Amino acid sequence: MVGDQKSSGRADTIVRPIETRYALSGEVRIAYQVVGQGSFDLVFVPGFISNLDLHWEDEGYTRLLRRLSAFSRLILFDKRGTGLSDRVDVHHLPSLETRMDDVRAVMDAAGSGRAALLGASEGAPMAMLFAATYPERTRALALYGGYAHFHKWVMPPERLDAFIATAETAWGTGATLANFAPGRVDDARFSTWWARFERLSASPTAAATLARMNAEIDVRGILAAIDAPTLLIHRRNDVRVDPDASRFLARKIPNARLIEIPGRDHPIWTGDVDRVADLIEEFLTGERAVGEAERVLAALLATRIYDTARLGDRMWSERSEHFHETWRALVTRHGGRCTDVHGETMISRFDGPGRALRCAAALRDAAQQIGVASAQGAHVGEIELRGPPAGLMGRVTIQLAARAGRGEILASRLVADLAVGSGLHFADAGRVSIDELDEPMALVLAMSEQHLEPACRPKARATEPACLTARESEVVSLIADGKSNAAIAAELRLSEHTVKRHVANILLKLDLPSRAAAAAFSARQTGPDGP
Amino acid sequence: MLTKTQAVNGAAIKKAIEGRDGKMLSSFYADDALVRVIDRNNPPSKPREIRGRAAITTFWDDICSRAMTHKVDATIADGNSLAFTQACAYPDGTKVFAAAMLELKNGQIARQTVVQAWDE
Repeated sequence: MVGDQKSSGRADTIVRPIETRYALSGEVRIAYQVVGQGSFDLVFVPGFISNLDLHWEDEGYTRLLRRLSAFSRLILFDKRGTGLSDRVDVHHLPSLETRMDDVRAVMDAAGSGRAALLGASEGAPMAMLFAATYPERTRALALYGGYAHFHKWVMPPERLDAFIATAETAWGTGATLANFAPGRVDDARFSTWWARFERLSASPTAAATLARMNAEIDVRGILAAIDAPTLLIHRRNDVRVDPDASRFLARKIPNARLIEIPGRDHPIWTGDVDRVADLIEEFLTGERAVGEAERVLAALLATRIYDTARLGDRMWSERSEHFHETWRALVTRHGGRCTDVHGETMISRFDGPGRALRCAAALRDAAQQIGVASAQGAHVGEIELRGPPAGLMGRVTIQLAARAGRGEILASRLVADLAVGSGLHFADAGRVSIDELDEPMALVLAMSEQHLEPACRPKARATEPACLTARESEVVSLIADGKSNAAIAAELRLSEHTVKRHVANILLKLDLPSRAAAAAFSARQTGPDGP
Repeated sequence: MLTKTQAVNGAAIKKAIEGRDGKMLSSFYADDALVRVIDRNNPPSKPREIRGRAAITTFWDDICSRAMTHKVDATIADGNSLAFTQACAYPDGTKVFAAAMLELKNGQIARQTVVQAWDE
């Protein structure tokens, strides 16, 4: 199959890669794509920077575009100055009117006489200007995280200068991510994508030029002239654009309705994308979106490890690798599935909360023995059957792990409610507000390990070589000879990966913290009558 | 009313569709007509349903606002049933193909099922 596998639940929907075409606006080429075949057209006017090709490489972006193109013929484009479209002359910045006309040029090229417009962030003022200029071509207006005046609601001139200075020195490294989506800064995969997004959307000069162009935006005067039905969506704690911006729009645009939703990450393709898509779909089609993906109830466990002992890089990476191996073994042993790894946070999935918590307790002990600090979060709810738990559930679980203290297993109250009768014990841990959730969430701490593992404590297990398999015994004696994994692999004609796995299992079975301890153990066992 | 002046038949539908005349098209439908659309996004077990003349008018207005060419090919009439195929193209070359089956009642369209596919 060609195309993306990231369309979350509809992995088989793309047959061919999406074609990119170019519209001519004056003398400037504007790149655009058309996706889907709904009965009406929807033009997506993106924010600050964009890149038509790169969007399809991010899970959240793909999800948003798939959702929108399921009920419309979705027309996407890169504004002039960014992505695949022509750059702008630094010395003659185009007016917002000129840039707005790019929307018309793209619509003409795509054969769209009349369309609904979705303007996100900086795309919103452009969409508003279009709606006021071409009422007959505007079916409806959906504005996400928008504003009418840059300096009033996005940043005052002095902060803009600082932003441009940062852009000029650190552009392309992903340094601007914190200004847009602080909730994703710790997500290594997304930060890497964001850095590429910067590089492939604009050069440092182009980025600074775009920022200056956006800073001139002031469309307060045209709001009363918009007569298309308008939906305003704004995240309540949006870090980039003050929600007051949309409240102002709601007062000034005649036929507008504002819906404020939880969350602080600004880009429309981050945070709870489905919620935004639901609102837009309902507004444009008059019908509520029906969940399309197959969802199941599951318990998720996020296990985060970190360094408190200031281990050197090398020792940390050894221990981290060891813990990752142990994590895989323990999750499997507890009937779970290892679903995703974000740096030092590992996500696993279980059929029920009891198993997740028992596994969490075992992981906590393992972390202690390996010499890393652990903190875990558990939550239960519906997740998509296929793919990693990318939705809200996954993000909430990761946030719980981020809040948990050293050695703690922090769970939602729901986990405790479902585990009644399991012999597990919990202590109330108050309520916290979590990004993207309307209500503060009630939390519990999973308590003392004797309750969690009543039958056999790992420490009480017999640490006899008898519990090792023949192969594992061989590996232990080679470790005792001071051989590296690579050397052991060569000697036993195994892959290095398999050897690593054996070593992890040996340490787990023997309840030992390191290879050195295993070597010492082997030496102890190999007395005068030893092998 | 337009409904009285224009009898619904294959030729009238062909003329309205090829002329992108949304008003004319909408006038062919009964007040409580139902249009069902089956395509990649709307599978047979959950087709998109457009009920009533007002919603159908919006539907045709949207379609006819597009600068695309429509060509109605084969039209087959059999009593109160009418069927036709339709080949459409956007200015950039993207093609859409649809087959429609219509049930007529008192000279108006009471029910229509469209099956469509497109380049992507």
